[in-house]
Amino acid sequence: MAERTMIEAINMALGRALADDPDVILFGEDIGIDGGVFRATDGLIQRYGSARVRDTPLSETVIAGMAVGAAAHGLHPVAEIQFMGFLYSAIDQLTNHAARLRNRTRGRLTCPLVLRAPYGGGIRAPEHHSESMEAMLAHIPGLRVVIPGSPARAYGLLLAAIRDPDPVVFLEPKRLYRATSETVEDNGQALPIEQAVTLRNGTDVTLISWGAMLTETGAAADQLEAQGISAEVIDLSSLKPLDRAKFRTSVEKTGRCVIVHEAPLTAGLGAEIAADLAEHCLTSLLAPIRRVTGSDTVMPYPRLEAHYMPSTERIRQAVHDVMEYA
Amino acid sequence: MSTFTLPDLGEGLQDAEIVTWHVGVGDHVIADQPLLSVETDKAVVEVPAPFSGTITRLVADEGAIVKIGAPLVEIDIGKATDAGAIVGDLAKSPAAPPPKPLRTGTGARATPAVRRLAVDMGVDLASLTGTGPGEAVTSADVEAAATGLTAGQVLSGVRRSMARAMARAHASVVPATVTERSDISGWDSGEDVTTRLIHAIATGCYAEPALNAWFDGQRRQLHDNVDLAIAVDTPEGLFTPVLRDAGHAADLGPAIAALKRSVEDRSIAPDAMKGATFTLSNFGMLGGEFAALVVTPPQVAILGAGRITDTVHADNGQPVVHRTLPLSLTFDHRAATGGEAARFLSAVREDLERPKRDARE
Amino acid sequence: MPDPLAYLDATGAALGDLPGFAQDGEILRALYKAMVRTRTFDAKAIALQRTGRLGTYASSLGQEAISVGVASAMTEADVFLPSFREHGGQLWRGVSLKELFLYWGGDERGNDFAKARQDFPVCIPVASQFPHAAGVALAIQQKGERGVAVALGGDGATSKGDFYEALNVVGAWNLPAVFLINNNQWAISVPRAEQTHAKRLADKAIGAGLPGIQVDGNDVIAVRDATERALKRARDGKGGTLIECLSYRLGDHTTADDASRYRDDAEVSPHWKAEPLIRTRNHLVAQHGWSKDDEETLLRSCRDEVEAAAERYLATVPESPRAMFDSLFASAPRDIATLAEEIDDG
Repeated sequence: MAERTMIEAINMALGRALADDPDVILFGEDIGIDGGVFRATDGLIQRYGSARVRDTPLSETVIAGMAVGAAAHGLHPVAEIQFMGFLYSAIDQLTNHAARLRNRTRGRLTCPLVLRAPYGGGIRAPEHHSESMEAMLAHIPGLRVVIPGSPARAYGLLLAAIRDPDPVVFLEPKRLYRATSETVEDNGQALPIEQAVTLRNGTDVTLISWGAMLTETGAAADQLEAQGISAEVIDLSSLKPLDRAKFRTSVEKTGRCVIVHEAPLTAGLGAEIAADLAEHCLTSLLAPIRRVTGSDTVMPYPRLEAHYMPSTERIRQAVHDVMEYA
Repeated sequence: MSTFTLPDLGEGLQDAEIVTWHVGVGDHVIADQPLLSVETDKAVVEVPAPFSGTITRLVADEGAIVKIGAPLVEIDIGKATDAGAIVGDLAKSPAAPPPKPLRTGTGARATPAVRRLAVDMGVDLASLTGTGPGEAVTSADVEAAATGLTAGQVLSGVRRSMARAMARAHASVVPATVTERSDISGWDSGEDVTTRLIHAIATGCYAEPALNAWFDGQRRQLHDNVDLAIAVDTPEGLFTPVLRDAGHAADLGPAIAALKRSVEDRSIAPDAMKGATFTLSNFGMLGGEFAALVVTPPQVAILGAGRITDTVHADNGQPVVHRTLPLSLTFDHRAATGGEAARFLSAVREDLERPKRDARE
Repeated sequence: MPDPLAYLDATGAALGDLPGFAQDGEILRALYKAMVRTRTFDAKAIALQRTGRLGTYASSLGQEAISVGVASAMTEADVFLPSFREHGGQLWRGVSLKELFLYWGGDERGNDFAKARQDFPVCIPVASQFPHAAGVALAIQQKGERGVAVALGGDGATSKGDFYEALNVVGAWNLPAVFLINNNQWAISVPRAEQTHAKRLADKAIGAGLPGIQVDGNDVIAVRDATERALKRARDGKGGTLIECLSYRLGDHTTADDASRYRDDAEVSPHWKAEPLIRTRNHLVAQHGWSKDDEETLLRSCRDEVEAAAERYLATVPESPRAMFDSLFASAPRDIATLAEEIDDG
């Protein structure tokens, strides 16, 4: 079975969704003959036609708003925002409409849409292309926010998002698009959309991360293991709703927690997780909860990018700090 | 008669000034007819009559500032009075329970888990100098203080777990102990003591379910099955593997042997040591006759079996020698009564005193 | 043909030949009844708000001909996406008076229409319904349906990107959508002249390559006629149309507004002479034998119907607090369920 990169796995899931469900429609900027700026939709217009794989005019407001209207009228739109930095004008439609249409009509009209967007830094992209603003989206009630951490998870979670009867923002860690590959079977199997996954078991400290930062987090766990510190690594996967049971159980076991995200510190998802652990697992905590995150600065241009991103060394040091508390 | 109060005009406005009355006392008004104009912080608005009737009194004058909910006008609607023109009553919140007394801090630096351990072990954090970051008190500091050790080997692993579990038990349980000797002179030579004890405990639990229970300080839960923790002593400390549904286990001997083996080679799963409803400590294999044991919450009782000895009894005034097994039952007196404990212990003794285990009807 | 398109002058006199439907007395009576019914509802809604029994409410006083005219041209296959001031169109489409009262009274069940199941609830964030209409039109096109997406917004909405961006994709993709503007001259306190330097709002269609038509929005015949033509055009696969309906907001922006702060009676009163109900009634009296009895019977039946609906609304028991969780997702995530239990316990 072939090894697939994350971008190939996403392409495969989109193709599978188009083949399985005639109501699935893809639209976005440059997703047709160009196959998307990252080639996520490469070849799909040839296979499924320009009526179902559509290049939109350059308007994020319309991409999101049209997805709401089309979803409410029976299609399953999978819309692409080219980069997360251009997603902000779509937040009006996500917050005011997609996330609340079911509720405000008491279930009469619904919004089974997926909005895909590449996010995050580390590929030396121009400004406005590298932000991690997932917490803004996770704050919106009625929305699901999903971030895959590997090619296989991207395939299964994207299918789950497309089949979900409610709106899902699917953020793709673009640094992982082509960074690694693994066996991904095009079996049409969706993964559970609300579940965090434990990537490795450990007993001394729980490391919680998602998206591209799982790379540095996993590397830190390897180094820690060599030093006799057993780290449990959780891929959060679903940023909204949170799989709180998963990380609470882990921290109750280990007594220590370090949260790693690329997004800025203040009001990031790490704050919500830390608050949850403080509320529910206080007497299990052997050490302060630590966050290793991007700084509260504007995302620097590529020359300084590496200084912004949490490094393996920073994660490892944070774990050493919390291990000081016996 | 019905009183019309200044309605909530929306958008968070709190009061309004009466600009003009459009009606006077004695006027007949019909619903939705303009009654008066009021000026709020945002707008001058006309307030209509909420229902038809005859004006009997204007409560507030022009120029007056009226708070939302204050009476404006009384209207005789010619039938029973109502509560005023409001959409409905908001449900009242239940009365708040009296506040619990506040606990003040200890002043020492320690993480929550260490504070919990200190409470469990009865250690005053303020008396310690921490060895952690920023002189924070660590769990090792607390454990050392609890055992009175200032130097020596810091507990680890199983022994540390044991120390914590025992300290927790000691902090919450109110223990009481009752003892008894059972006469086992009638046993065949091949009888296995542990097997017989397990059977007898199950019999006791069925006779007196109050001892086969969980209690968390507030709620008590009785169990149908006896999931029996069997204390196993090891050089590293105490293990308590659990024998599920001990009263109905088909072949006890091999089951017990497997449990012990899994403890000895440390292959036992953590889940296999959880969820016990009763504990057996067969300490007599090592020595000792009676003991005041430690109940492990949320369980409410533990039975100890001492060393089997020959004891002299008075039989019709004559001394006779019997083989006896000393029994010690320690129970949490918060959850079980002395009577219940005595009934349980009698049932255990009677079961043990049958010549063969399978002699039970 | 006059520009803006009009068939009746302010007195109800015909300006020329009327379109076919407007020669049918039954149709004209139905249009008039719908406008009277809308205005009766409007007055009751304001009275309920002023007595603390309804939330903030946006009156459609003086603009009844627009949404009634638009909705009367539509079929069941079409989808209506109104702003918050188009009660007349909603009522024509089958939304009930009680549902409208419930919505404006602060109860989401008012948007769970028993009829008009495909229509959108009113859109509060100005102009954001236009991209939805493009999406509905896309779904219609994709599924090969016969319908047209019909979105209606105010003059202020034309200043927003949403409006233009949606109009643009309707043009680019030749979508079956009709966008209408209720140009009532005011966006809260900002008058039309300050809203844009464009000569006509209808001209904004030029940028999207679509026809932009201006009609007398106080002439229900003109509104219906223009909408019918635009719908036919869309159904024939010829694409979208923008229709600007000229009218005037006789009332406040909403019950939370006091228009006397920014415009005086001298500005407003001439518009009372041009409002849509009088001219329609005059025309009915002159051409279709509308009598005083007819008028009184109509007013009484509208009043009785609105009163009865208001009573049913006031007697409606609020939903359980659980309702705010129950419709958020098709199946509640564990996270939501936990919070719901806390509310139950509270």
